[in-house]
Order: sequence, then structure tokens, then C-alpha cells
Amino acid sequence: MYSTSQFDGNAAFSGGGFMPSQATQSTDSSSFPSRNRDAQSLLPLTVKQINDAFLSSDDKTNLIIDGVDVNNVTLVGRVCNKAGRITDVTFVLDDGTGRIECNKWLQEAVDSNEVDGILDGMYVRLHGHLKGFQGKRSLNVFSFRPVTDFNEIASHFIDCVYVHLYNSKIRLQAGVPNQQHVTNSTPITPTKGYQAYAVPPNPFSGQPKNAPKSVEDMVLDILHLPTNRSRDEGVPRDLIAQHLGIPMDKLMLAIKNLIEEGNIYEAIADHYKSIING
Amino acid sequence: MDTSNPAAFVNAQLLSNFIGKKVRTVVQVNQSHGGVTTAKSTDNQQLTVTGLPPVPLMNFVEVIGIAENNNSINAEIWTDFGNTFDTNSYNQLCLLANGEFKGLFL
Repeated sequence: MYSTSQFDGNAAFSGGGFMPSQATQSTDSSSFPSRNRDAQSLLPLTVKQINDAFLSSDDKTNLIIDGVDVNNVTLVGRVCNKAGRITDVTFVLDDGTGRIECNKWLQEAVDSNEVDGILDGMYVRLHGHLKGFQGKRSLNVFSFRPVTDFNEIASHFIDCVYVHLYNSKIRLQAGVPNQQHVTNSTPITPTKGYQAYAVPPNPFSGQPKNAPKSVEDMVLDILHLPTNRSRDEGVPRDLIAQHLGIPMDKLMLAIKNLIEEGNIYEAIADHYKSIING
Repeated sequence: MDTSNPAAFVNAQLLSNFIGKKVRTVVQVNQSHGGVTTAKSTDNQQLTVTGLPPVPLMNFVEVIGIAENNNSINAEIWTDFGNTFDTNSYNQLCLLANGEFKGLFL
């Protein structure tokens, strides 16, 4: 029994520890900076999705579902074959689409109390980290709580559908221009990962675009004019309004949005500068 | 990990696609005697479930079992879902899980 738990300990450190997963994450995020936040996201999944991704991928250490790195996941299902030990508890989660082996380490008394309240056949919501070890995939559970409102089951699966739809369709459509933009602005902005969404594509180009520009874009264009970039005190708001020929309240709304997104700041009273002015 | 024996989300209308297979559904128990329970499905049809539900009448209960025919299920597992349940959302989920997004479930 002691040797078994020691063996599991090795599994936890080699699979779920930070050496392998961080190494893959950092190489990944350098090639796709706009994915930075997606890589750390919590994905609602069905066991079927995990199994399909596992079977179709050659890389058994890093799992990708709908183009997103799978790290932390949340599942809802019934607990089966629960086996408690002193240091950890193992069980099988059956979410109706499949079954997955789960393991939770018991570090404190509060963990043990939480686990004691959960019995075979109960529905639980769990959060965990998916790890592969020796060709087997299992879930290292951070928390599992009994489902008390059973609408959560339907809600979870609808969530899975939504996230799948978002990652496989919407995110990809939005992702293409983003990545182009990131390569464009790489030499200018050191913090490209954060700006991928906030800065419009080609902020310096005056080329006409198909879509009408938003007020925010036009304000940025003005702040990026060479003459304005050299003003240390920023550009007075009256001047921006005069340039754009729009009412002050509209301009101030756009400026407020840009400040909230971190694109511009107020240098001195009523004078604004873009953060990429250098 | 094993996905060889899934339980499909069904309502009464979808039940006929899974005869002889494992299904899961939520019903509201109407009456129960002699090991046969009649209950209302999420799409408002009458279903017969073999087995005794461990719940009061009019409660919602999840049944996991084998679909026997168009309107009957042989229950293996009952889970009491209490006396309030959003049957409409569940019914929509059944449609999604057997339609465009079947790949996520079966």
C-alpha cells in the first residue's frame, strides 16, 4: 500500500508538476502570443471530448481540444468506485459520455472532510488538471463538490457545447487577424501579449479599410501622427475633437474606453498620449 | 478512460433512436406500482419506466437504463432531482446532444 501511494506521487510530480507542462506552455505562447490567456483557461469538457482528443493526438503529454491547450478542466458527473486511502482518494467519474479515472490528494483535514461527504452514485462538479502518465490519462482533482441543484448538469453540458462552438468557430475567425497583427507590431510593443486584442490592426497605416473606423481607432490614428507623437505633454482633447469633427461627449466616451483598455493615458490635464508613442 | 458505453441524453421523442442501448433522461413521476412507473418526459409525453423510483410522486428523477421500446425504459439507476427542475433546458440539451453537437457526447 505504501509503495502504491509512492508510485502515485511520482506520477503527480512528473505529469502535473511544472517542469514538462510549463516548458510546453512557454514554447507555445511564444509562437502564439495571443493565446496566452487561453492556455490558462478552465475548460468545461465532456469525457468524450477528452478521449477523442487523446486518441487523435500523437503528442501524449500535451492535449489540445478545439485549438486550445487543455490544462485545467471542469466536469460534472457521477462518482463511481470511490476508494479512499489515507493520503489520497481515487474514483471514476461517469458523466454519461464516458468514464475517467480521477485522483485527489488529501493534504489537510478539510480535504478529508470534503471527500468523506461524497459517496458512490452522487453527482459532483469537479475541477482538476488533466495529466497523462505512461499512456494513461487521468484527472488530478483540485476540488469536487456535490451537485445540489441538478440543473447544473444540463447547464454544464450546454456550457461544453458553447465553449466548443466558441473555440472551434468564433475564436478562430477572430484569431487570424490577431496573429497577423501581432507580427506587425512585434518590434514596437514589448508587451504584445496583452495588446493583441486591444490595439487595432496596423495602427500606423492610413490605408482605407473596408469597415468604417470606430471613434477609438480614429483617436489612436491622431495620437499616432508623427507631430503628435513628439509632444511630451500629449495632445489636447480640443485638438482631437477639432480634427475628428465630433462632439466632445462622443470623444470623451472613446477616450474613456481607450484609457480603460490601457491604450492611451492622460499625460497632463485633458492631454492624451498613446502608450505606444515610446 | 472509457467511452465505450455512453448513456445518451434523450427525451421521449428521441428514445426510439436508442432501442436496446443505454440512455439517460429526466422524468416527473406520475404513478408507480408493481415495479412499473409512469412518468412525464421533458417533452411532455408519457413514458413507462420499469423499476421502482426511490422518490415521492411528482418529483423529478433521472433515469439511466436501457431503452426497451418507443416509450419505455428499463431503469438501472435512479437519481432524485427534487421537486423543481428546468425541463425545458434539459429538453433543449437532449436536442443539441443528438443533433449538431452529437460528437461531444456519443
